[in-house]
Amino acid sequence: MFACIYIPDFPVAAIIRAELLLRDRAVAVLEGTLPQVRVAALNHNARLLGMEIGMTKMQATIFAASSEESTAAAKAGSKRTPSQIDLASRPVKPQTTLNSAVLRQRSPAQEDSTHAALLDVAHAFTPRVEDTHPDRLLLDLEGLERLYGPTVTMARELASRVSAVGLECNVCVTANPDAAMHGACGFSGITVIPTGEEARRLGVLPIAVLLDSLDITCSKTRTPAVTREREKLREQMLDTLERWGVRDFRTLALLPEHALASRLGEAGTHLQRLARGAGMRTLALCEPPIQFKEAMELESAVETLEPLLFLLNRLLDQLCARLEARALAVQELKMRLQLEPRVADEQTTTLPELAATQKASRLPARRDGNFYASTLRLPVAMRDPKVFLKLLQLDLAAHPPGAPVCKLWLEAEPAPPRSAQCGLFLPVTPEAERLEITLARITGVVGERRAGIAKLLDTHRPNAFRMERFVAQPAADNINSGPTLSKTAEIPPLALRIFRPSRPIRVQLAEGHPSKLTALIRDTSGGELQGKILWSAGPWCSSGDWWAEQPASKNTTEDERTWSREEWDIALAHDDGRGVALYRIYRDAGTGDWFVDASYD
Amino acid sequence: MPSTASLRTRVESALGEQLSSTLLLREKAGLLTVSTGVPVLDALTGGLPRGALSEITGPASSGRTGVMLAALAGATRREEACALVDASDNFDPASGAAAGVDLDRLLWVRCSERNRSSLLKNQRHTVLERLEQVLKVTDLLLQGGGFGMVVLDLGDIPPASARRVPLTSWFRFRRVVEPTATVLLVVEQEACAKTCASLAVRLQRVTMCAHNAAPVTEREFHGWKVLSRTQPAIPPANMVSHAALLQGMQLRAEVQRSWTQRKPMHSVGTDFEMRTAW
Repeated sequence: MFACIYIPDFPVAAIIRAELLLRDRAVAVLEGTLPQVRVAALNHNARLLGMEIGMTKMQATIFAASSEESTAAAKAGSKRTPSQIDLASRPVKPQTTLNSAVLRQRSPAQEDSTHAALLDVAHAFTPRVEDTHPDRLLLDLEGLERLYGPTVTMARELASRVSAVGLECNVCVTANPDAAMHGACGFSGITVIPTGEEARRLGVLPIAVLLDSLDITCSKTRTPAVTREREKLREQMLDTLERWGVRDFRTLALLPEHALASRLGEAGTHLQRLARGAGMRTLALCEPPIQFKEAMELESAVETLEPLLFLLNRLLDQLCARLEARALAVQELKMRLQLEPRVADEQTTTLPELAATQKASRLPARRDGNFYASTLRLPVAMRDPKVFLKLLQLDLAAHPPGAPVCKLWLEAEPAPPRSAQCGLFLPVTPEAERLEITLARITGVVGERRAGIAKLLDTHRPNAFRMERFVAQPAADNINSGPTLSKTAEIPPLALRIFRPSRPIRVQLAEGHPSKLTALIRDTSGGELQGKILWSAGPWCSSGDWWAEQPASKNTTEDERTWSREEWDIALAHDDGRGVALYRIYRDAGTGDWFVDASYD
Repeated sequence: MPSTASLRTRVESALGEQLSSTLLLREKAGLLTVSTGVPVLDALTGGLPRGALSEITGPASSGRTGVMLAALAGATRREEACALVDASDNFDPASGAAAGVDLDRLLWVRCSERNRSSLLKNQRHTVLERLEQVLKVTDLLLQGGGFGMVVLDLGDIPPASARRVPLTSWFRFRRVVEPTATVLLVVEQEACAKTCASLAVRLQRVTMCAHNAAPVTEREFHGWKVLSRTQPAIPPANMVSHAALLQGMQLRAEVQRSWTQRKPMHSVGTDFEMRTAW
């Protein structure tokens, strides 16, 4: 058995999938460039309004405006109280489905996403899928009865899964693929045609359905020239059959085979075989899509965060539904925003001027021209759209794009979902999803790269470490290889409290030893770092990185500079009466300046 | 005249399942404790209570950070996730690793001035900004849950500023942490959490031990002794040479508040030693 999934009015369905509020409204999709913008697709409500494919934008706009007026009148009529209604006139019937028409520009990106979602659903059902056309897929259901049950149950399950990704579809199941495709295109809802009943059930379908599907199955190359040629041949064939009085499948199936072949050639016999539901062919199987990308083009640019989050929420829902259909999760989430060009960009400015403007305005590094990109790298694979939305919200709040957004993309790097064995006696660890949100919030409070784990660097440079991402459950073999000298803490070690940055001081020496200390800047901890040095030990000289070539620029970080210092451990009696404390001070051998490096505690 | 028990049964049956536990007297379970990492302190205090707020106080160079690292080392050895909210960005990862802290299990939050230019203008505001960050981050960590130990290091925050933290904040922290297995530990110069703390330990320095080439002498200044000890002329190869002279400190711990004892609290103390990692 074969099943066909068909999405009626595919361009409209792709738009509605992104904007669910349009589901009950008349929607017309426009295509082309001015002045040749025409209606390319309509939904059922738009057809009821009288709109047609091929209308110009102006005509469609007039329809939309008139429908708005009628809707307003209908609403006004429905709001009247009985006493206000003029008994002589007919009461206006409230229109529930024929609301005002909405015009949208065709979005190839959204159609691609919708098609990919459809493929995901189909591949989650069976690996034998033919990607016949963006709006229809053929599935081989052979051998799936034991998994999903009888044919009708399979058809319902398919429709349900397609509905879960935000699409309304027709499903037809028959014994051969072409008949399934004709059934799905011709009958709405779920159709199951028993074997041998194809000719009778398909007989009522208009001949245009057959010619449409024939055109699709014959032409895999869709260049404009080929499309025009096919369209011309289709029109000729339709015209010929119309003149013969052949308007449905049944009439074509009853025509004498030889006479049809002599007049229409091989195409005629093929058409008749399809009309009888007798054609059989093998499916051209396709690979499941490896990209999980969702896009949305906006009619008007979004300027504030809240509506943008609303749109992102919709995209995330779609993305997670697709991943769920394939039993996958997200390891990395990329967000890309197309921004409206700035006024400065539209003017004729030279590149240096523009660069200076950008530098002065402190544009975020994530912005490249009119595009803004951000990547969420997750420590564990997740699939909760609410978590992603919160993380994106915190990220956007910390790094706003800086311009209105007119188009947005979301791309997920798929990964197998996380599997964890829970237990009563496992150590306490934060839940991965909550931890990510907590870390993002903390980053918002303390700043970038100020929260994480410290990794010690393999160097003798004092205070050498780098910050890395905190992961709730590090692997067993990922133990930090720090200089663990006292594993058994029978006697706790004396620890250092590092001053970042080191505090400049003035030191008086007596017989080569520090005798008095005075801070050059006021201590933020309140007390003055000033007093008599009661005891000292040192100096302990250390230096490093003098063998490496030094970059001459001033922008070198502390980790890249040569260091050479003479350290002293001192006991300082504070002048302000705080008593005695132990400090580590050092003299920079390069400059001769003294600093307080740390205190012992 | 119906008995109290029958009245209670009737009331409970009338309320149904809505308020089934309202009339039951909840026995407060005893607090579970974990080791401080210092056996002497464990013997003195009974350990750090889970689901409660504990305070370690003391002036500079009184061993607060050493005890804090020992507690963190114990928690990470139990494979618990820990968090250190560092108000003054003072944590030394090398000291932590030397104390046995598994740095991969320690979330280190470094509070800082978001706007450096304001540092020079008003330093008091800087401290308050850091304190505000500490409170926000602690709130987030406790609400997020899942950490075995959360440490607030206010060791370099002036007591006058630390006292500005509203008591309601400490009370909120205590309430949030109560139903969890988290140890909330605050390291500071003077106790601030008052009655919200289940355990308060004050540390004081007694003696500084130092190796010295000179003969054994004993010097005393400001009530703090420097005890000189002889050492071999050539230090061992694995000894970090630049700090070979400083050996450690003798400290005294005093329990100021404990959940195990009723008021009035009888302050008890003990002495212990703290040595350099080298």
